[in-house]
Amino acid sequence: MTFSLLHATDFADRLLYKIIPPLKAGMIVLADRYAYTAFARDVARGVDREWVRDLYSFAVRPNLAVYFRVPIDVSLDRLLARRVKLKFYEAGMDMGWSANPTESFRIFQSKVLDEYNRIVHEYELAVIEASSSITEQQRQLRQIVAEVLEQETKSVE
Amino acid sequence: MSSDRVNNGAHGGTQAGAYYGHGLPYLPVDGYPGRIIAIEGTDGVGRSTQIRLLREWLEVKGYGVVETGWTRSELMAPTIELAKSSNTLNKLTFVLLYACDFADRLEKEIIPALKAGFIVLSDRYIYTAIARAGVRGVDSQWIRRLYGFAIAPHLVFYLKIEADALARRVLEAGGMEYWESGMDMKAGDDIYDNFKHYQRQLLKEYSAMAEEFGFRVIEGRRSITSIQEELRRQIGAFLEESGPPSLPGV
Repeated sequence: MTFSLLHATDFADRLLYKIIPPLKAGMIVLADRYAYTAFARDVARGVDREWVRDLYSFAVRPNLAVYFRVPIDVSLDRLLARRVKLKFYEAGMDMGWSANPTESFRIFQSKVLDEYNRIVHEYELAVIEASSSITEQQRQLRQIVAEVLEQETKSVE
Repeated sequence: MSSDRVNNGAHGGTQAGAYYGHGLPYLPVDGYPGRIIAIEGTDGVGRSTQIRLLREWLEVKGYGVVETGWTRSELMAPTIELAKSSNTLNKLTFVLLYACDFADRLEKEIIPALKAGFIVLSDRYIYTAIARAGVRGVDSQWIRRLYGFAIAPHLVFYLKIEADALARRVLEAGGMEYWESGMDMKAGDDIYDNFKHYQRQLLKEYSAMAEEFGFRVIEGRRSITSIQEELRRQIGAFLEESGPPSLPGV
């Protein structure tokens, strides 16, 4: 619960200082993760699903939210290729499910992925398969962003 | 101990000892033998003196007592102090840091004490946080849902005092402080006027909650001894009625 509330505090701070001012100035805010990460991660840690949604009701609903979906094995390989060790919280080691970081990561991240799948439907996130090449992902992303920007421009006119 | 007897406690619409709303799904608290007694009231009303005296009395009677109070969480106390001193807090981060402090104390102090059959004496409870948020214009439904993870106390005493009497008392005790005077709300530069205005608004918020959460109101201008006698009388009656907090397995 403290984990959840500390992240919410950090988010509220960024919302008021880094997100809302540029929005008012008509700029585009690119957010690397948003409240959806909290919905997935906190619920996987045992926090009530509805409570955490209520908690973040002060957040601004994004014009576009994109979810990069990746199977657990791929994310595990990528993380381990870059670093020697998985981070304690990233692997959900605080939950005490397994003393083995890799095993704990698998258990925790599979819960997180289940929550993301629920969120994708609930909030109509755009999905990009992140197992494809970076070039391919970027092509798809630019296409989605371009469409949204075009729509937004039209609705302003 | 039957459940209808527990209902004699002060708790608003929620059964004493249960979560107000969406609690902590991973920590069920039903049927724990301990009790929560909260003493509410604004700054300088004499809560800590009353709690110290209550503790002595309860311990002599043979109860295990644990005290808790705002910003005493080991995790959050330094962070909150730092944030207060750095002028970067806004109403939302202020509210959320306090909620985090409460959550930490709930999980690490209050729930374990309830499980072990202790009496938890809480120097203020979530109502102070709700009142402060209300004065700062935070949505009242949102803050109530946020604190849905809190446990409804068995008794809530509210030491009520008018802003005029409070101002004199705080000045006698050493002076008005920045946050107690709501200086963050930038209503003006005069600390005395701000203190009075801020505390009056807080009192309004507390009064609005009295019925909602079943406060037992005690006039805060009475003498320390007289307030203590009143508290002991009511707590004594409650403990007698609901039965002593039995130790698990005893």
